[in-house]
Amino acid sequence: MPQFDIATFSEQIFWLFVIFGVLYVLMSRIALPKVGEVLERRQKNIEDNLGKARALKDETDAAIAKYEAALAEARDAAQADIREASEKAAAEQAKKTEAMVKKLSKKTSDAEKAIADAKTNAMTGVAEAASEIAREATDKLIGVKVQAKTADKAVSAIVGE
Amino acid sequence: MAGPLEQFEIKPLAELSVGGIDVSFTNSALWMVLAAVLVTCFMTLSMRRGALVPGRWQGAAEVMYEFVANMLKDNVGSAGRKYFPFIFTLFMFVMFGNLLGMIPHSFTFTSHIAVNFALALVIFIGVTVIGFMRHGTHYFRMFFPEGAPIATAIILVPIEIISYFSRPFSLAIRLFANMTVGHIMLKVIGGFVGLIGILGVLPFALLTGITVLEFGIAALQAYVFTILTCIYLHDAIHMH
Repeated sequence: MPQFDIATFSEQIFWLFVIFGVLYVLMSRIALPKVGEVLERRQKNIEDNLGKARALKDETDAAIAKYEAALAEARDAAQADIREASEKAAAEQAKKTEAMVKKLSKKTSDAEKAIADAKTNAMTGVAEAASEIAREATDKLIGVKVQAKTADKAVSAIVGE
Repeated sequence: MAGPLEQFEIKPLAELSVGGIDVSFTNSALWMVLAAVLVTCFMTLSMRRGALVPGRWQGAAEVMYEFVANMLKDNVGSAGRKYFPFIFTLFMFVMFGNLLGMIPHSFTFTSHIAVNFALALVIFIGVTVIGFMRHGTHYFRMFFPEGAPIATAIILVPIEIISYFSRPFSLAIRLFANMTVGHIMLKVIGGFVGLIGILGVLPFALLTGITVLEFGIAALQAYVFTILTCIYLHDAIHMH
């Protein structure tokens, strides 16, 4: 077997070391750094792009948050305005109603008073007339002159019942 | 018809001698040069543009780089990073040597025990030196498994020593045997194709299958050689 021919060992091993050594230098100095650099640059590029995307997303989120805050603020302001206006309207309404109620109740009480006065006046007139009529009638019918005091007493006794 | 062993013959192309030692440039050296040139071309020309989005060739070169880098990372960890150029060179050199051997009438320098053993010995010595440099005399603990009862040392230590020193042999012989046997098989079965006339289609079909298998073995054995180196390196750096 040629593999066991010791005479060829030195030349094989010599050239193995020379060629392997040269290849090692070529790989470690030239080829591999280049590949490593390309891979690193690609990795960095991907990371940069991811970072950029993340930054843009953050920016977008911030803008959305800002917009929503502004929207909420505007909504709150609008609601406050509405509340104020409706409260003002309600207060005015209440005041008007109160004034009207006061006026009406005064008119009612005035009218009631006038009616009561008229009634009292009328009742007094009626009693006087009745006692007069009663005295006149007794005088004419039976010729008895009844004193005014007695007649008044009798009338008021009947009216008071 | 050439014998099945003729393909392994070392033929000097240019006689050379340094200090009385024969260092002739042979067919073996020629194919080593070819492998080295192809590896270099593959790794540099395909990366020439260094594109952000790789093309086919650049993608292939990057796959090789990342394959070896991951092998080293998984087996040795981050401490192995500085040995990456060596591991990568080793893997590419052995794999291209194996694959070039699949070209008819070529020469497979990895089918020679001298080449494989020289590589294995460099790895063995290198790994041992790294081990002693990192751990000092504590590296001798390699020969006694952690946690074993002290009484078992008399059996375990010789076993561990033998297993440690058999590493370069197993590394070299595995690759040599795989390459040699595969090529002999191809040659022998190939010889039948012409000899038995029309029935030759049967060995031809078999030959086709074995050729595919041999391509697989060429890549696989380079992988095995490299991963074992990684495991030895792991032992030297982390100890068991």
